[in-house]
Amino acid sequence: MLVLAFVQHFFVSKLVIWHTAPDLMPLFIAFISVAIGQRTGLSFGFASGIIIGFLSGHIGMEALIGTFEGFVTGFFHVPEESHATSTRKRRKFYMASATALVTGYALRAFMSDPLSLPIYIRLPESIILGTLMSMIICVLAYHFGLKKLLRD
Amino acid sequence: MTSFFRFIAKHTAYLYFLLYCSLSIAIMQLERKETLDMIRERGLAINAAVAEQLSGLWSLFTLKQNNERLFLQNARLMSKLLQQGVALRDIEDKQSLVENRADEMSRFTIARVVDRRFSATDNMLIIDAGKNNGITKNMSVMTPDGLVGRIIEVSDNYAKVLPIINRNLKVSVVTDSTRTNGLLSWSNGNERIAHIEHVPVSGTLLVGEGVSTSDYSTFACRGIPVGTIERISKDKLFYNVDIRLGVDFSSLNQVMVCPAKPSQEKLKLMQSHDSPEKQE
Repeated sequence: MLVLAFVQHFFVSKLVIWHTAPDLMPLFIAFISVAIGQRTGLSFGFASGIIIGFLSGHIGMEALIGTFEGFVTGFFHVPEESHATSTRKRRKFYMASATALVTGYALRAFMSDPLSLPIYIRLPESIILGTLMSMIICVLAYHFGLKKLLRD
Repeated sequence: MTSFFRFIAKHTAYLYFLLYCSLSIAIMQLERKETLDMIRERGLAINAAVAEQLSGLWSLFTLKQNNERLFLQNARLMSKLLQQGVALRDIEDKQSLVENRADEMSRFTIARVVDRRFSATDNMLIIDAGKNNGITKNMSVMTPDGLVGRIIEVSDNYAKVLPIINRNLKVSVVTDSTRTNGLLSWSNGNERIAHIEHVPVSGTLLVGEGVSTSDYSTFACRGIPVGTIERISKDKLFYNVDIRLGVDFSSLNQVMVCPAKPSQEKLKLMQSHDSPEKQE
């Protein structure tokens, strides 16, 4: 989580297109929530928010966003005893990721306005563009590693 | 009571959510306080340190591009510097020429051509200014159009001038734009055409280019106009250059005698023996 937070803050956040950069943390929280459960997802969301906030300077706001992401992704948890197929797991993971991303970008757009853009511009811009960019990474991450982890 | 605990156990996620939300909001509120400010500052310091290291690492990858960019910038600045240096030198040259002229203009002696010996090869002029007017041997004679000749003999009230249209007078000259040196001479009967000798074919000359006296002259101060290049032809080693003289000798009446003379120290040094003395 620490490594991912560093990668997100120092590398991924620099890939800015139209004031928006992809976000890896919701994907990580979504994976934890889907694989382990809502409570763990919540805890990881809160912790990852604290780390990101420690680096960016907005500890409270990032912690709250992480908590919300952990909470919403928890509804897509796939219990171990459910014997779900990999397709169902994948679908749940994608849905959890998309929900976490939309929640995260929406909250961030509401709570901070570093570029002084009007809300009707920064909200759809960050949600649509940020979610699309992050979902591409999500698909790639699923196919090159998370798929195997979710199956186990 | 049991059902309450069962409800709590069933919905612990909501409790966690509320707890974390409260904590986050509390942190947001406390962010203005000193303790959290300190933590935030520490975080930003770590952030800055890591970012600095990463940018240093990134600069390694862009080192080649930066190097090339700096090299080009250096070349641009160098060419600008050279251009400005040349321009500055030209300005200084012109300024010194103007200053010399302004200084010496007041000391020019105006004289009238009172006699002339016509010849196809050895022309001679007499002017009505002599020792009493401050005229001495080896002064240069000119008009606003260009160089006339050299004073070779002086009496109390008159002076004899060896004009450039005399085969015995040779003047060191330089072209105005290409700065090619040569020796002006006159040999035939045409009063308006002279030649420049000893210009190697490696030199550069332009038709229409102005020619003036050079620093090498033993009597004329530098920069006195002489004429313009009219024709250039190549020989084996040297150019054959014809120049149209600035002064029209057929209608020459008034002349100016220039008091400035080349440094005697320079001439003395030039006339000394070239070979070093033998030392035991």
